[in-house]
Amino acid sequence: MPQTIPSFTSSVRLKYVKLGYRYLVNNLLTVLFIPIMAGLLLEVLRLGPDEIFRLWNSLELDLVHILCSGFLIIIIVTVYLMSRPRHIYLVDFSCFKPLGTLRAPLTTFVEHGRIIKGPDSKAVQFSLKIFERCGLGDETCVPPALRYIPPALTIANSREEAELVIFSAIDSLLEKTGVKPKSIDILILNCSIFSPTPSLTAMIVNKYKMRGDIKSFNLSGMGCSAGMISIGLARDLLQVHPNSYALVVSTEIITYSGYYGEQPSMMLPNCIFRMGSAALLLSNMRKERSRAKYRLFHVIRTHKGADDTAYRCVYQEEDPDGFKGVSLSKDITMVAGQALKSNITTIGPLVLPASEQLLFVLTLVGRKLFERKWKPYIPDFKQAFDHFCIHAGGRAVIDELEKYLNLSAEDVEASRMTLHRFGNTSSSSIWYELSYIETKGRMKKGDRIWQIGFGSGFKCNSVVWKCNRNIRPPVDSPWSECIHRYPVKIPDVVKII
Amino acid sequence: MVSPDVVESLISGVRLSSVGPAAVTPPDLIYEPSNMDLAMKLHYLRGVYFFSSSSVEGFTIPKIKETMFQWLELYYHASGRFRRSESGRPFIKCNDCGVRFIEAKCSQTLDEWLEIKDFSTHCRFVSNQVIGPELPFSPLVLLQITWFKCGGMAVGVSWAHVLGDAFSASNFINMWGQVLAGNKPELPPYVSRLEKSEKPPSLAQEPLSVKRVDPVGDNWVVPGNCKMEMLSFRLAATQLDGLQSRVSGQKQKNDQAPLFECICAVIWQSLAKIREGPEPRIVTICRKEPHNRGRLTLSNNQMISVAKADFSVVEAKPKDLVELIAKPSVNENTQIEKLVKKDQGLMDFVFYGANLTFVDLGGSDLYGLELNKTKPVFVNYTVDGVGDEGVIFVLPEAKVAGEDGRGGQTVTLILPENQLMKLKDELKREWSIK
Repeated sequence: MPQTIPSFTSSVRLKYVKLGYRYLVNNLLTVLFIPIMAGLLLEVLRLGPDEIFRLWNSLELDLVHILCSGFLIIIIVTVYLMSRPRHIYLVDFSCFKPLGTLRAPLTTFVEHGRIIKGPDSKAVQFSLKIFERCGLGDETCVPPALRYIPPALTIANSREEAELVIFSAIDSLLEKTGVKPKSIDILILNCSIFSPTPSLTAMIVNKYKMRGDIKSFNLSGMGCSAGMISIGLARDLLQVHPNSYALVVSTEIITYSGYYGEQPSMMLPNCIFRMGSAALLLSNMRKERSRAKYRLFHVIRTHKGADDTAYRCVYQEEDPDGFKGVSLSKDITMVAGQALKSNITTIGPLVLPASEQLLFVLTLVGRKLFERKWKPYIPDFKQAFDHFCIHAGGRAVIDELEKYLNLSAEDVEASRMTLHRFGNTSSSSIWYELSYIETKGRMKKGDRIWQIGFGSGFKCNSVVWKCNRNIRPPVDSPWSECIHRYPVKIPDVVKII
Repeated sequence: MVSPDVVESLISGVRLSSVGPAAVTPPDLIYEPSNMDLAMKLHYLRGVYFFSSSSVEGFTIPKIKETMFQWLELYYHASGRFRRSESGRPFIKCNDCGVRFIEAKCSQTLDEWLEIKDFSTHCRFVSNQVIGPELPFSPLVLLQITWFKCGGMAVGVSWAHVLGDAFSASNFINMWGQVLAGNKPELPPYVSRLEKSEKPPSLAQEPLSVKRVDPVGDNWVVPGNCKMEMLSFRLAATQLDGLQSRVSGQKQKNDQAPLFECICAVIWQSLAKIREGPEPRIVTICRKEPHNRGRLTLSNNQMISVAKADFSVVEAKPKDLVELIAKPSVNENTQIEKLVKKDQGLMDFVFYGANLTFVDLGGSDLYGLELNKTKPVFVNYTVDGVGDEGVIFVLPEAKVAGEDGRGGQTVTLILPENQLMKLKDELKREWSIK
């Protein structure tokens, strides 16, 4: 019950009370159903077969009545089945696996920064502080253009990076699923900062020689949660187009988004963004039902852009010296918290068991009517989900969500380890996290997964999946070679110098 | 000598980046240099390997970098950075920061460049950076890839002597060729290298080959007064024969003086003649140590010995000088180590140029760096941070077809500016060496 009641019994007894309450409320219908059915059965038995037959004859039903009733039932059932949304399956997904030759230890970043900007640069000193606390490891990768002193931030180099990360993820995905490029009906790509002409989707169509009638969409400028927007779009399109494959690619091309000015508010993305991408194959085909890994349940999008503070909290602009960068305002934690609250208010009723929803409603009512001192009840989302993939936007994001949603260290392990091994790969990070859970062998049939991400706008988006079949740890995932080293203990402050 | 303006316009399109080990080195690994290593810390070897265009066909910068990442895994401490322990003794933190990678273009063809007889533009193909003024941000190795107009390539290796001697440096760069060819050996175990802390020993006699210098702090350069210049010349096999027979006074090959000692004797005497002031009576000789430590071990193990002349060098017969140099004299390695250990590695020393120093690179596999299964056309080494007495490197050349398969020798002189020209004239006049 609400947290304000002081601990009056031992925690063990409280645990059993909680369990009992949950079983009762979640299975209320069953709990009520059983006595009613038992009663009916007793009544039927009491009547005996002769009585029942007499009852039936007294209804005076003839053939027409029976046939009409039958047809009515059939029509109602058919209309119901047809109007249900199609099931959307995630057949499989692939993440870009960076080679060790693209590695960039944090010390190298600091050293390069000092050479480019001078040892006294405030930006370099600030970035050193970020590196010490960011939770990134020394295996994260940057594209070749960013390794130069000074970096070569050109469109040509950005395209090279795009080709490297996107094509390798798609190649791996097509090989795993055996689907031919010409079978792809829908192509959706999201990449926030880099949006050249022709688009990156055109680059994919060109490379893989896809069909002329492909429905392609290139989403740009939508931030780190755009991957979930792409999935939402794919889902909607797959409702309209039967028997289709949708290829969704989530990435961020960091060559183009490098920032080399002196503003501290623009330094964070520069320090923690790394190269990565994910390619997913979604389908509504019945034949994919047996081999698909996951089934899509919900896509919940929350947009706080109507509020000015939220709109400006992640803002791309030129700094006073003319350098282009993305500035993060000081209100970002507050805005993110509000966006999260909105999102879980929407998602709660869809996924939470009745017991948690009842508690939430009761607390809400109680707060309104009685003591305002009651703290709002944060539902226990561990009741609804088995795995959590929190976008690895930064250490602070993961820490905050862990505290706010009362998650355990194991729940956020996938997010923390992805941040450590791959850095912030923007919209594809939730897929690296899912890959971590799979490679660890923790994913079982029936497990429910919640992917949650934040992005500019300010948006908070969630996607809910259910695991469709038992999944063996993959041998070709980006984690395969290093999974035995994880999880690692990440110190609060790492000494770089 | 080539004019400075020409030198400046020679190299263009310089781009800097870093390459490091592809695999993560476990955290908190350190490498403590030995006392011998620390004695050499103010010196830097600068080696350049020249390849013809056919050797490097199909090579691109991305491919070169990729193979270098694989190669540097084998020597992960070379990608680290120096720190100082609580006692002030330097050690390397193996943090995978990387080696510097420099790309450049040369406006000449390889053949045009090889025609510049004195190779004074050698410095343009290799970085002249030193460790310092900030230890944590100074790379220990800098690699430079310079493309010639004809498609040939120069590989410049700037090597901090604290990591190892010229023989180690040569093994280090040759291993890149092996990795390129697909013969990468197994990774060494990830283990910290720690120096045993022992009681400082008593030193009976101070070594003659090293001299203390005033403390340099974290800027590891030899405090010097003279401007040192470099000059190289190549001696073909026939020239060497002539030199040997003249020095030893013998016509038969079997009785002739050994080659390195001949060259040393000739230069020693010539320098003594042209030098103003007292003639150099003590010389330091460096040779390869006889034991093979394996290609993956980097260390300062070259055999250091000192030759002292009790007689006038100018008046002496070259044959006597040869005998003095060739005879097994006192090996100073242990004494140098004891001297450094006495001060717990905190003092700064100069070795090359403390006396007139001769280095015999004959035992090294200097031409062992193979690209596309071909050896370099020419290899030269020099050293930076040289004391006022000067250094002479004697390098073997690649074997040539014909002439009994013997190659010549390259002699690289690093001497004060004013002495170099006079020596050149003296060698030309007296020994017909141009």
